[in-house]
Amino acid sequence: MNIQTDIKEGIVRGGETLKQHRDRLMEATKRTGHYAGLRHMELRDEQPIKYNKLFSRLRAGVVDARETAKKIAASPIVEQEGELCFTLYNAAGDSILTSTGIIIHVGTMGAAIKYMIENGWEENPGIADGDIFCNNDSLIGNVHPCDIHTIVPIFHEGKLIGWVGGVTHVIDTGSVGPGSMSTGQIQRFGDGYSVTCRKIGENDTLKRDWLHESQRMVRTTRYWMLDERTRVAGCHMIRDLVKEVIAEEGIESYWNFAYEAVEHGRVGLQNRIKAMTIPGKYRQVGFVDVPYAHDDVRVPSDFAKVDTIMHTPSEITIRGDGTWKLDFEGSSRWGWHTYNAHQVSFTSGIWVMMTQSLIPTEMINDGAAYGTEFRLPKGTWMNPDDRRVAFSYSWHFLVSSWTALWRGLSRSYFGRGYLEEVNAGNANTSNWLQGGGFNQYDEIHAVNSFECAANGVGASAFGDGISHAAAIWNPEGDMGDMEIWELAEPLVYLGRQIKASSGGAGKYRGGCGFESLRMVWNAKDWTMFFMGNGHITSDWGLMGGYPAASGYRFEAHDTGLKEKIANGDPIPFGGDTDPEHPVYESMLEGARVKRDKQAITTEAMFEDYDLYLNYMRGGPGFGDPLDRVPQSVADDVNGGYLLERFADSVYGVILTPAGDGLRGVDEAATAARRTEIRQQRLAESEPTADWMAREREKILAKDAGTHVQQMFAASFKLGPKFEEDFRAFWSLPEDWKLNEADLPIPSYGREYTMDLSELPDVRTVQLVEE
Amino acid sequence: MPLDKENARSVQVLGIDAGGTMTDTFFVDANGDFVVGKSQSTPQNEALGLIASSKEGLEHWGLTLEEALEQIQTGVYSGTAMLNRVVQRKGLRCGLIVNAGMEDFHRMGRAIQAYLGFAYEDRIHLNTHYYDEPLVPRHLTRGVMERVDMSGTVVIPLREDTAREAARELIAQDVEGIVISLLHSYKNPDHERRVRDIVQEEVDASGKGIPVFASTDYYPVRKETHRTNTTILEAYAAEPSRQTLNKISTAFKDHGSKFDFRVMATHGGTISWKAKELARTIVSGPIGGVIGAKYLGETLGYKNIACSDIGGTSFDVALITQNELTIKNDPDMARLVLSLPLVAMDSVGAGAGSFIRLDPYTKAIKLGPDSAGYRVGVCWADSGIETVSISDCHVILGYLNPDNFLGGQVKLDRQRAWDAMKEQIADPLGLTVEEAAAGVIELLDSDLRDYLRAMISGKGSSPSNFVCFSYGGAGPVHTYGYTEGLGFEDVIVPAWAAGFSAFGCAAADFEYRYDKSLDINIDEAAHETDKARQAATLQAAWDELAERVLEEFALNGYSADKVTLQPGFRMQYRGQLNDLEIESPIASATTADDWDALVGAFNDTYGRVYAASARSPELGYSVTGAIMRGTVPIPKPRIPREKLHDATPPEAAKLGTRQFYRKGKWVDAQLYQMEKLLPGNRVFGPAIIESDATTFVVPEGFETWLDEHRLFHLQEV
Repeated sequence: MNIQTDIKEGIVRGGETLKQHRDRLMEATKRTGHYAGLRHMELRDEQPIKYNKLFSRLRAGVVDARETAKKIAASPIVEQEGELCFTLYNAAGDSILTSTGIIIHVGTMGAAIKYMIENGWEENPGIADGDIFCNNDSLIGNVHPCDIHTIVPIFHEGKLIGWVGGVTHVIDTGSVGPGSMSTGQIQRFGDGYSVTCRKIGENDTLKRDWLHESQRMVRTTRYWMLDERTRVAGCHMIRDLVKEVIAEEGIESYWNFAYEAVEHGRVGLQNRIKAMTIPGKYRQVGFVDVPYAHDDVRVPSDFAKVDTIMHTPSEITIRGDGTWKLDFEGSSRWGWHTYNAHQVSFTSGIWVMMTQSLIPTEMINDGAAYGTEFRLPKGTWMNPDDRRVAFSYSWHFLVSSWTALWRGLSRSYFGRGYLEEVNAGNANTSNWLQGGGFNQYDEIHAVNSFECAANGVGASAFGDGISHAAAIWNPEGDMGDMEIWELAEPLVYLGRQIKASSGGAGKYRGGCGFESLRMVWNAKDWTMFFMGNGHITSDWGLMGGYPAASGYRFEAHDTGLKEKIANGDPIPFGGDTDPEHPVYESMLEGARVKRDKQAITTEAMFEDYDLYLNYMRGGPGFGDPLDRVPQSVADDVNGGYLLERFADSVYGVILTPAGDGLRGVDEAATAARRTEIRQQRLAESEPTADWMAREREKILAKDAGTHVQQMFAASFKLGPKFEEDFRAFWSLPEDWKLNEADLPIPSYGREYTMDLSELPDVRTVQLVEE
Repeated sequence: MPLDKENARSVQVLGIDAGGTMTDTFFVDANGDFVVGKSQSTPQNEALGLIASSKEGLEHWGLTLEEALEQIQTGVYSGTAMLNRVVQRKGLRCGLIVNAGMEDFHRMGRAIQAYLGFAYEDRIHLNTHYYDEPLVPRHLTRGVMERVDMSGTVVIPLREDTAREAARELIAQDVEGIVISLLHSYKNPDHERRVRDIVQEEVDASGKGIPVFASTDYYPVRKETHRTNTTILEAYAAEPSRQTLNKISTAFKDHGSKFDFRVMATHGGTISWKAKELARTIVSGPIGGVIGAKYLGETLGYKNIACSDIGGTSFDVALITQNELTIKNDPDMARLVLSLPLVAMDSVGAGAGSFIRLDPYTKAIKLGPDSAGYRVGVCWADSGIETVSISDCHVILGYLNPDNFLGGQVKLDRQRAWDAMKEQIADPLGLTVEEAAAGVIELLDSDLRDYLRAMISGKGSSPSNFVCFSYGGAGPVHTYGYTEGLGFEDVIVPAWAAGFSAFGCAAADFEYRYDKSLDINIDEAAHETDKARQAATLQAAWDELAERVLEEFALNGYSADKVTLQPGFRMQYRGQLNDLEIESPIASATTADDWDALVGAFNDTYGRVYAASARSPELGYSVTGAIMRGTVPIPKPRIPREKLHDATPPEAAKLGTRQFYRKGKWVDAQLYQMEKLLPGNRVFGPAIIESDATTFVVPEGFETWLDEHRLFHLQEV
C-alpha cells in the first residue's frame, strides 16, 4: 500500500493542510528574511497595474463593507464611534489589508486564525465553506474580552484560500460588573464570557444553541445581537468581494497577491524607517498607577488590595538597513487587576499607533509585524505566564506604555527635520464612564461612554496638539452627539466643556481634553464607576514640554438638586473649570461629594439627581513653555484652554485686560518675567553628579514608597539586564538587594504561575522573542 | 440666423449653473431645442456673469436677452456661492444660544469634522487632522438654563432671566443673526420657542432688526451638532445668498423678465429664493445633473439610473431607483455635519486633473487626491504643473486632441507629458510610457467601476437593472472604461454632456420637503389598537408637515389644490441608530393594516440594502421621522426629438484620424465632430467624437449610436 494514500489531503488550495501551509511559509520567512521566501514579488514587479488594481479594489471593498455594516448596529460604540474593523487574511492567517477602525485587531484576529491552525481545527471541529467562528479569548491574543471576533473562511473551488475577520467592541460581556471594561475582578474568571475560536455557524447560519447561550451571557442582549449581525454581514460582503475579484482577475493573481502584499508591507515599513528615522538606540519609559488599597476599590481577594505602579521601560534599536527591534526588558509582572495584555495585542497595538505616525499608508498588514523584532520577557504584564490573568481593561497601561514609543520616534523625526511628524505622545484615553442597572427604558442595561475617543493630542514640533480629537486605539476619534449618548445612558448632560490646562504646557501646547457633567436621570438600581489614571501622569512632555494633567474623580450624592431645580436655585453646570478652586460644591451643601485622585473605582450606587464628572484627558506638550509666543498664551486663556494663573507661573506671560473680558499681553513685563524665571532655574540647579549622589543615598536606604519598591523589585526579577543597568548607573554595592518578598505587601503570583501552554493538548502561538 | 428675418423662436426655460470659474446658462425653446451660454463667473456681482453668459448663449439663436426674457416662464438657479462663503468663513457675524454649560459644543464640533473628506491615509495620519474655525466664535455664544430629556420631559424648567440676559448680551455685540439650539428641542420645542420669543422681544426692544433662528423651526431632527450647524448656516450663509438672489432676480427683471427665480435645493427639488430654509441650497450644481437624468428617465422610460459625472477633481455618482432619488439625512458638507436632506451623491477624489504619483516607500501608484484642476497637467506648458496628471495620460495616448482642448483655447504639448510620464512613472515601474499611461487609466477606470458597482450593490441591486448616464466635461472620455464589463442595461452619453447640470436644473420640480423627528416604538406583535394609535401619531406629523409645505407654496401663489403631496417616513429596528427612508406606499395612515403596510415596505427595503439575515423584526420597530414632499407642475424643457438618418455618419462629420493607444497597441482612431453626427448614425470603435466642451471615446470593441433625442448609446460588441 502506498503510504501517500494514508495522508488526507489538506483543505488549503494546492492540497496542503493549514498547518503544513503555515509551517512552510514560516520556514521560508525565517530562512530568507522575506515573507514566505518571496525574494521577488513577481505579480507586483511584472504586472504592477494589475497588482495595484487588486489592492485598490480589495481595500475599497473592505472599507465599504465596514461603512455599510456598521449601520446595522445599535450600539453607539460601533455606529457612532466606529469601534469595528474588518480585515482580510491569507490562508496562513496573515493579514493582507484592512479597513479603518480599531485596527489593532489586524493582529489579534490573525492570532485566532493561527491558533486554530496550530491546534488542529482542520480535523476537529473542521473548517468548511460557510462556517462562522467566534473568538474573544485574550489568552490567545485578544485585547480584552469585549472585542468580539467573527471569523469566516473563504473557499474557492472547494479549497480554502483565505479568511475574513470582523470585530466590534461590545458594550458588555457579562463580567462581574456592568460595562465592557469593568474593574473589580482580578482574574479572568470574572472578566465575563470567554469564547475560544468556537464554530458558531455552518452554511452561513448561526447555530441556535450559540444564539441562546451567548445572548444570555451578557447584560445588553440587543446590542450583542445586532453587533453580531454587523460582523457577520460585513464578513460575508467581503467574502463576496473576494469571489468577484477572483472571477475577474483569476485565482492565480489573487493567490500571489495574498502573499506578496504581506512582503510588500514589510518592505514598505523598512523603507519608511530609512526615510524617517536615524539609526541608533532610543530609550524611554512609561508608568501608570493601580491604586487598589482604597476603600472605593472593592475586590474579592485580599492579596489584590494593594497600591502598585506598572512600569514599562522600552528600547528601540533602529539599524542602518531599516530593520528594527523593540525591547521591553524591565517591564512589570502581570498583576491582580484587569490591566494585563497578551503579547499579540501589545505588538499589534503598536501598529495602530505606528500607522498614525510612521506608516500612515493604505498598506497596513502583517508585513509590518514581520518587519519588526519584538522582545517581551515572559511573565511581564504584556506577556503573562499565568492563565488566571484578567484583561478587561488592558488599555489602562497599553496607552501609557506606547506613548513612550511615539516620544522615542519623535526624537528621530525631529533629528531628520520632520517637525510636523513629531508627536509628544498620546493621551491616557480616559475617563471611562461605566455602570449599569435598569435604564430609562426599564431594561437591564450597561453603559460605557466612548466620549474618550476624543482626547487631546500631543503637540508636534511645529504646532499645538489638536484638542478633544483622538484616541490612540482608533485614529478616527469622535466624542459623539450628546443627544445620542442620552439615548444610550440614563444620564442627562449639565455640561460639556473644553478642559482648561488638561493639555501639557510647552512651546507648542498639548491638545486639551474635555469634560462632561452628567446628572443621573430615570435610572433604577443604578451603579457607576471610574476608570483612568489619577496619581500618575501617564504621558510625558517632549524636549521641555510638560505632560498632560492626570485624572481625578468627582461624584456627588444626596445632592438636593431636585429641590434646587424646583426652587430655581443655583445648580452646578458646565465644566469643573478649576478643580483646585471648585465651585460645584458651593451649590451642593450637605451633599456627599467625592473629589480626589482616586480615578479608579468599582461599582458605586447612584440615584437620580446624583452627579458624575466625565473628564477626558489632554495630550503632552513640546518644548520649553518659556518659548511659547506670548499672544498664544493669552489666546489660550481667552479660549478656555489654560487657567489664567498658569500664564504667569508656567509660561512667564503677564496678561493685561484687553476689553470684553479678554486678556492681552504685557510684552515688556513678560520679557522681564521670563528672564526672572530663567535666572531662578539657574539658581535652583545643581551639578548632576551632586544630585545623583543624593538620590543614590536614598536608594541605598530604600527611602521610597512601598509601591515604588515593589515596582522596581518586580522589574529586577523579570529583567536581569534591567537590574544590571540600574545597578551600574547608580553604582550600587553587591549586597544591596531589593526583593518583593521583603516588602510588607502580598505578592501572589511572584513564584508560582502556570501558563496556558501547560494545559493538555494546547499549542500556543509565539510571535515574539521572550 | 439672418438679422433681417423675424425670429419666431419662443424661449421657455432658463437654467443657470454658476460655478466658481464658469457660469453656464441653458435656454430651452418651445420645441425643446436648447442652447448653452458660457461666461467667466463674476463672484463680486454674480448678476454680471449671468447676463454675459445669457447673452453669449442667446447669440447662437440670434436673440437679444430682452427678446428672450419676455417669453421665459421659468428660471432655475444653482451655484456655489453659498458653499464658498462657508468654506472661506465669510458669512455673517452670528450669535448662538445653547444650553448653559454646553457653550463649547459648537466649537468642539464633532471630532469627525477634523478629518471629514480626507483620503484613507490622512484619516489614519493623526498629525494631519485639524478643526476649521467654528461658524460662531465662542465669545458670541451664550447659555440658557433649561433641560429637556430624550423623551421630551422637562428636567429643568426654563429660567427665562438667563435667556433675556443672553439675548441682551448678543444684541449689544451687534451680531447680524441669533441662532438658538437647545438639546432635544426636536422632541419638545416649548423651551426653545419661548427662548426664541424672548430673544425676539429683546431684539424688537433694541430696534436693531436682528433675525432670529430657532433650530426647531428649521431642522427639528436629532443630533445637536448636525441640527445646530445647519441652523447656523441659515443665519450665517443663507441670508447673504438671499440678497444675492434678490439682486440677480432684479437684474433680470431690469432686462424684462417676468418670472421669479427658483433655486436648486439639496433635496433635489427647486424652491423659491424667498423660502424659509434656504441653507438647503448650499450645494446645488452637482445635483442638477442627477435631476436631469431623472427627468430624462421619466420621459424616456428609464426607472433605474446610475448618474456619473467626472470633472477635473472628482467622480460623482448618484443613483435613481424606481424614478426616486436616494436621500441622505445627516450628510456632511464643507467639513460640517449637517441635518439637511441631501440627494445622496458619493464622490471619489479622482478626476481628469488628478495627479499621479508613486509612493516613495512602497512604489504603489497613487491617484489624487489633489489635482491640477483647471491647469490640466504637465502637457500645458504655461500651467506651472510638474506632476503628471490623468489628462497627461489622455494626451499621451491620443484620447485628447492637443490642439482642440476647450475648443483650442489651450494648446497642449504631448512631448512634455511624455517626458514627464517617463521620468516619474514609467521608468521607476519598468514600463514603457504607453504602458504606464494606459495602466494608470486602467487603474482609474477600475477604481471608478468598483465604486459604481459598490454603490449599486449597496442598494441591493445589480448593474443589469440600471442604465448608466455619463456626463460632465471628462465623463465621456472614461465612459467605456468605468462601465466595461459591469453589464449595465444601457450606457448613455447625452450629446449635451457638458451643459447637463444646467439642463437638469431647468428640469427640476418645484418641490418643498420637510422632515420631523419622531420616536414611535412598537413591538413586532403589537396589538391592533397600538398599531392604529401609532399610525395616528405618524399621520399627525404628516399633517403638520403638509401644512408647512402648503404655506410655502401659498407664499408663491399656489393654492393647496395645485399641490401634490407625497408622505414618507424613516424607520429602523428598535434600538438601532441608523434608519432608512421609505416612501410611504399609502397616502394616509389610520388603521392597523395601514401600519402593517408601512412595516412591510421597510422590511423589504432593509433586506435589499443590507442582507436578509440582518433583518431583526424581533426587536420591534421605531419610526424616527416623518417626511412630507409637495410639488406643483411647472414648465420643463422638452427633450429634443429629431428625424432618424442612416447608420453611416455623413462625411462632413469626419475629422481625420489620430493615433490611439489601448490594450498594448497603437491604432488609428477615426475622429468625428460631435455636432455634425446625425440621429441614427452608428460609430464603431476605435473612434473619438469631439466637441468643444467634451470628448467621447469609443475604443475598439465598442460601438455607439445616436438616437432621436441626441443621446449616444454605448455598447460593447
